[in-house]
Amino acid sequence: MLRALSPRALSRRTVVLAAAVLAGVLLIVMLAGGWAGGGGSGVTTVDGNASAVVYPAGHRPLAPGFSGTTLTGSKLSFSDYRGQVVVLNFWGSWCVPCREEAPTLAAVASKYRPSGVSFLGVDVRDTTAGALAFARSFNVSYPSVSDPASAITLAFTAKVPIAGTPTTLVVDRTGHIAGAVFGTVTYPELTAILAKVTAKGG
Amino acid sequence: MTDVRAPETDPFDPATEHQERPRPSPGGAFGLADWLKWAWRQLTSMRIALILLFLLALASVPGSMLPQQGSNPSGVLQYYASHPALAPWLSRFGLFNVFAAPWFAAIYLLLFASLVGCVVPRTFRLAGSARTLPPRAPRHLARLPRSAEYVTALPPRDAVEVAARVLAGRGFRLRRPDEAGQAEASQHWVSAEKGYLREAGNLLFHLALLGVLVSVALGGLFGYKADRLLVQGQSFADTVSALDEFHPGRFVTAASLGPFTITLNRFDARYITSGEQRGQPSAFDARVTYTERPGGPARTFDLDVNRPLPVDGAKVYLIGHGYAPVFTVTDARGQVVYNQATPFVAGTSGNFLSQGVVKVPDAQPEQLGFTGVFVPTAVNVGGTLESVFPAADNPVVSLIGYAGNLGMDSGAPQSVYQLDTSGMHRLTDSPQVLQPGQSLKLPGGQGTITFTGYVPWVSLAITHDPGQLPALICGIAALGGLLLSFMIRRRRVFVRARANPSAQGGSTVQVGGLARTDASGGFEAEFAALAAELRSAHGQAAAAPPVQQHAPDRHEGE
Repeated sequence: MLRALSPRALSRRTVVLAAAVLAGVLLIVMLAGGWAGGGGSGVTTVDGNASAVVYPAGHRPLAPGFSGTTLTGSKLSFSDYRGQVVVLNFWGSWCVPCREEAPTLAAVASKYRPSGVSFLGVDVRDTTAGALAFARSFNVSYPSVSDPASAITLAFTAKVPIAGTPTTLVVDRTGHIAGAVFGTVTYPELTAILAKVTAKGG
Repeated sequence: MTDVRAPETDPFDPATEHQERPRPSPGGAFGLADWLKWAWRQLTSMRIALILLFLLALASVPGSMLPQQGSNPSGVLQYYASHPALAPWLSRFGLFNVFAAPWFAAIYLLLFASLVGCVVPRTFRLAGSARTLPPRAPRHLARLPRSAEYVTALPPRDAVEVAARVLAGRGFRLRRPDEAGQAEASQHWVSAEKGYLREAGNLLFHLALLGVLVSVALGGLFGYKADRLLVQGQSFADTVSALDEFHPGRFVTAASLGPFTITLNRFDARYITSGEQRGQPSAFDARVTYTERPGGPARTFDLDVNRPLPVDGAKVYLIGHGYAPVFTVTDARGQVVYNQATPFVAGTSGNFLSQGVVKVPDAQPEQLGFTGVFVPTAVNVGGTLESVFPAADNPVVSLIGYAGNLGMDSGAPQSVYQLDTSGMHRLTDSPQVLQPGQSLKLPGGQGTITFTGYVPWVSLAITHDPGQLPALICGIAALGGLLLSFMIRRRRVFVRARANPSAQGGSTVQVGGLARTDASGGFEAEFAALAAELRSAHGQAAAAPPVQQHAPDRHEGE
């Protein structure tokens, strides 16, 4: 395709060549390299784990309101939890890491119940029979709202980048999302976030 | 005879084409810079571009022959199971993920660099050549492929003036002798060239080609592809955790997905029931309800194989379908621990003989698992079940039950189509066949599984490619440019007038012409018509002499 230019045009060819090389290198960098997504404004990680974050006061996204049906068939509205610290756990009985973290959540829930922290599950892409069986297996003491069509998940994704199940969010007393664990929660991560959020003025 | 050749270096002269050999630098030694220049010239040559294009096609072959991690992860697992020695080696060479393999990226990026490196400089040269003037008229026009000669009563200056007017009227770009030129002042000639649109077309083609490349990159960086299996009656939202497969572009985040929701109301597949085509699908119809964003109005749409749903900048394609038998499992304690439609996937044996897995992780006291086969129209052939028609005319399932540890309480995420039986023991010796409504009592009081019925599922592909429309526009522009450059000939006509020594005051007019690229012919007729027109114009001008006062020079050196 390329035809060499006449010797007279050598200088212009060099310029064009340089431009083409530059464009090629730029494209290669864009396609192959990729820019790692830098940390957001003032977000701190917990225990050096990038998947557990605490949002500083003033940078906390407002949690969307939602209502739904619990696994046991009663109506539940998120606004009923206004004024409390809420741990929202997106889970499914089909999900291996959810089964892995279930005992941790149960332990943290009983530890923080006296401090007024509520736990609420959002059961994603699941059936009531399967979810109830899960709750029996792991002695889950807190309610879960069914989210078979991922509508609640979608509403929250607009605020925090939920990229899979499980995801655990900590909502502060003002209804803002104060912390998140993307993936399996560990006891130290979740308690570290809750310690910050339940602290005075947190 | 160098007369015919234009005195300037012609960018389209074939003689300047093959200078791809490296030239040593003035110092004499062939240094690193020369090698780099040579390598770049090689990379951007037509030959290498074609080789790379061929390699790219060749490299995609394993992608269609072997199961791919991205599109068919369970197929990869199956391949590992059936070829335990070969599979790790194939994996080492990235053959299960061809399109993400480094060697594939190398070919793609080299091709990209080759095309860019070829097209960019060529674009500049084409832009330059579209502005050039025709060359000076050769001395001996009779030596050109087409020529004509006649005598006119006009003096040479007027004869050329008239010819210039005729040629300009025909849309030729003209060149006259420079007034400053010493020797040329005594010569009377005009050069004319036409068909510059060919260069414009060529330019358009190259620019559009660059546009296509940029559009493709745009789609790769800002687009995404996703898959979702949707059982009839279920809904999903376009959010990462609700998608089965998600392949985002470099700059796509979870928040950049369109917030639409799709519900599959009903899926129908009709099949040809007789003749040679029996069992071939005749029509699909997936009736969906969708909302563009939460709280938006609900609309319905009939998805078909070639009729994607455009929603929120994305397109949703119907790419597959199957059966999801519905099972209810009761455990040893009498609790309903499983009640759902379980998608089974059709294998290669045809007629939608489908395989699937039921996992009941919360059955007590032991976890339960089943591997199953769904047969839409079952016929017993010598003790084995075969499906003779893809529609569910006589649906049965065949199940093998297991109890023990599913391996779901820790460790790596599992495929929903695979049952890891390493921690389980088999409950039934032979597969148990169930018809809709029938139950299987598990031995040892482990519980019951009931095949309550079946529902269809569809497999949806969601693609968002912001480069698609620009790529289409650029593609059309490239085609238009190419047509233009093929159909338009660049041709040159020269007119020279010499004072006729024998006659009194008249001159001999020579007309010569050549087409730069006359593949299709046709220039002969055009030249003959033009020569005739020139001759008659000269004849008329000679009959009515005082014309040149009005002859404006506005076309000159256009």
